Amino acid sequence: MRNKKSMNKTGRGFMFDIFKSMFKEEWRMHSNLFGNMGFSLFPVFIFLFTFLVSLILPIFREIFTYTQIALGMHYLFLLLGGMVGAFGLMGREFMNRRFGQARLIAYSSRTLPVSERLIFANFLLKDVVYYFALYILPFVAGFALASAFVPVESFHSSVTLLILLLTLSLSFMIGLSLVFFLSTIYAHSGKLLISGLLASSIFLLFISGNLDSSSFYSLPSLSFFLLPSKNQFLLSSVLIIVPSVLSLLFLKVDFPQAKKSFPNSFSKLCREFGSYRYAAFVAKDLLDLKRSEGGFGKLIFSFLLPAILIWMLLSALGTVLPALNTLILFSLVLGVLSSSMYNWLTEYDIFASYAFFPLKVSDMIRSKLNSYLFLNLVPLLLLVPLTFTKDPEVLLPALLLFISISLYMVSILVYLTGLSPSINLYNGRTFAFYTLSVMPLLMMNIILSMFGSFYVLVNLLLLPLAFYLLGKSFRKWDGIESSRF
Amino acid sequence: MIEVNNLSKSYGSTKAVDNVSLSVGRGELFGLLGPNGSGKTTMIKMLTGQIKPTSGSLRVHGVDVLEDPIRVRELVGVIPEQETPPSFLTAEEYLHFVAKVRKMKDYEAICEKWFEFFDFKDQKNSLCKDLSRGTRQKLMFAQAFLHEPELAIIDEPLINLDPVMQRKVKDFLSGYVRNGGTIFISTHILEIAKQICTSIGIIYKGKLVYTGCLDDPVLEGRNFEEFFLDLVSRPVNSNECASIPAQYA
Repeated sequence: MRNKKSMNKTGRGFMFDIFKSMFKEEWRMHSNLFGNMGFSLFPVFIFLFTFLVSLILPIFREIFTYTQIALGMHYLFLLLGGMVGAFGLMGREFMNRRFGQARLIAYSSRTLPVSERLIFANFLLKDVVYYFALYILPFVAGFALASAFVPVESFHSSVTLLILLLTLSLSFMIGLSLVFFLSTIYAHSGKLLISGLLASSIFLLFISGNLDSSSFYSLPSLSFFLLPSKNQFLLSSVLIIVPSVLSLLFLKVDFPQAKKSFPNSFSKLCREFGSYRYAAFVAKDLLDLKRSEGGFGKLIFSFLLPAILIWMLLSALGTVLPALNTLILFSLVLGVLSSSMYNWLTEYDIFASYAFFPLKVSDMIRSKLNSYLFLNLVPLLLLVPLTFTKDPEVLLPALLLFISISLYMVSILVYLTGLSPSINLYNGRTFAFYTLSVMPLLMMNIILSMFGSFYVLVNLLLLPLAFYLLGKSFRKWDGIESSRF
Repeated sequence: MIEVNNLSKSYGSTKAVDNVSLSVGRGELFGLLGPNGSGKTTMIKMLTGQIKPTSGSLRVHGVDVLEDPIRVRELVGVIPEQETPPSFLTAEEYLHFVAKVRKMKDYEAICEKWFEFFDFKDQKNSLCKDLSRGTRQKLMFAQAFLHEPELAIIDEPLINLDPVMQRKVKDFLSGYVRNGGTIFISTHILEIAKQICTSIGIIYKGKLVYTGCLDDPVLEGRNFEEFFLDLVSRPVNSNECASIPAQYA
C-alpha cells in the first residue's frame, strides 16, 4: 500500500497529466480541423494584425482617446472569454457532427477515476493558458512592437504593456468564469437562466439611454489598467474566483436534455411554407436550432445579448462623440453580427449527410442562405422598432445599410468558407482574406456616417457584388471534392 | 444497369481504385467483396457521383455519371457506409425530409410501410441522434428504398443489424431482385455474398482481382473463404481481373 505522501504526489502528477492531455487535445483538435500550418499561423496573424492596426492608431487619436482604446480592448477580451467558455462547455453537438461521437476528456469523468470537479478545474485552467498563448500574448506583442514605432500615448512604457497583458488576461478570465457560471445555472434550470437573462436584457435596454458612459469603465480589470490599485485587482480576482468556485461546487455535467420524443413538426412547418422551394431545408434548419442544446436560447446568448451590449456601448460612445451616428453604426455592426448566424446554420450537419441525394453543394449553400435570410428577421425586429423610436428619419438608410452589409458579409463568408465557416475561418490565410474584405468597409462606413446618414446608401453597391460573389461561390464549392465537409 | 470501364481513383500517390472494369445487369444482386481499405467505398462513391474518378468512364442506369451525377442520384437509392441521418429530426421527419428532397408526393403511407417492415413504429417520434446504431441503419435502409428505385447501391447493408433484421433484409433484397430490381452491395462479410449475391467481384488494393458467379465452376466443391483469402493475400499484378489462383484453375 502506498503511503499518503506518495499518494498526494501521484494525485498532483495525475492532475498535471490531465492538464497536459487536455492541452494536447485542444491543440490537436484545432490543428485537425484547421490544418497544422493554417492553425499555427493564427497567432502569427493576430500578432501582425494588431501590429498593423496599432501603427495607424495615431490617425484615430483625434477621435478615440487612450482610455476609449483601452475600453475597447478589455471588452473585446471579456467577450472572447465568454465565447471560448460557451463553446468549450456547450459545443459538444458541433464536435459530434464533425468527428462522430467526440469524447473529449472534459466529458470523460464517468470513465476516468477522477471527479468531475477536478476535470473541470483542469478544463478551466487549460482554457486560460491555451488562449493566453493563442490570443492574448500575440495581441499584446503586436501592440508592443507597434508602440516602439509610433507614439501611442502611455502604451509605449514596458510597465504599461505588462499591466495590459495582465488586465487583458483578467478580462478574458472574467468572461470565461461568468459564462461557466451561467452554463452551470443552465445545467440546473434552462428556464431560470433564460428568464433571468431576458429580464436583465430588457432592464439594460431600458436604462441604456440613461447610462453614464463612465459606467462602462467600472469593469475592474479595465479600472485596474487605467489606475492600478489593490482593490481593483482584488475585485477582478473575486469576479474570476467566485463564479468559478460556485460553478465547480454546483457542477452538473449533463445539460438538461431536450424532450426525447416529438410530434411531426417538420411536416407541419413544410405545410406552412407551402410550395416554397427550400421549405424542407428551412424547416429542418429551424428544428435543428430549436432542438439542439440551448434551443432558441442560442439566439439570446449569441445574438441578442451581444447586440444589446453593442447598442449600449455605441450609445455611450455617442454621448462622448456626437459626430457618430449611433443608429447607423448599430445597423452596421448588426449586419456584421448577423453573418454569424450563417455559422450556426452550418454547424448541425455536414454535406456528407446529403451527398448521396440528388443535391449539389451549391444546393445546400442556397438552402442555408434561405434559412439565413429567414433568421435575419430577428435583427430586423430589433432594428426597426429601435430606429423608429429613436430617430424615424434614419429608418430607411439604417435598414438598407443593414441589408447590404448582412448580404455582403455572408457572401464573403460563403465564398471563403463554403459550408464550413467555423472550420475554414480559423485558417490563418482565410481569416486574413476575410479581415481584409471586411475591415476597410467598416472603417469607410464609420467615416461616412459622420457626414450624414444617407451617405451610407453607397453600400447598396455591395448588393451586386454580393450576388456576383455568391454565384462564384456556388461554382467554386461545387468543383471542390471534399470527403467529409 | 452499371457499366464501369477502366476506372481509377488516386489520392496523391495512393491508388484507391486501379483500372477497374465491370458490368452489372438488370435483375442482378452484385456483391463487391474485399478487405477493409480495399477500395469498395471509393467505388460506391464514384458510382453515385459523390467523387470523380481520376480516369475511366462509368454509366449507371444508362446515365453517364460524370455528365449528370444528380440524375444518377435521382434514379438510384443509396445507403452510404458511415453517414447517419441529421441529429435533430425524428425518424419520421427524416423520412419525410428525404421524400421532399426526392420530390415525392403522397409519401406518408410509404413511410409508414417502412416503419412497419422494420418494426420500429414506436420510435418514429424519437430524434435520430437518440436512435441506436441498428435503428439508424434501418432508417437509412428505408430512405434508400423510399422512392422505389430500380437500382440500389448499398455499402455494408447488414452493418449493426441484429440477426432477425439481417434475415429480414436479406429476404427483402432477394425478393427485390426477383421482382426485377438491381442491387449493388459492398461488403467484407463473405457469408452475406454467399447467401444472397447472384454475382460477385473481389477487390483488393484497388484492383478487381475476380469477377464471376458463386456457381462458377472454379468454386465448385471448394471453400469460398479459402478462395477469397488466397486472392487477397497475394501481391497484386496489373490487369489481374479473373486470374484464379493456380490450385483452383
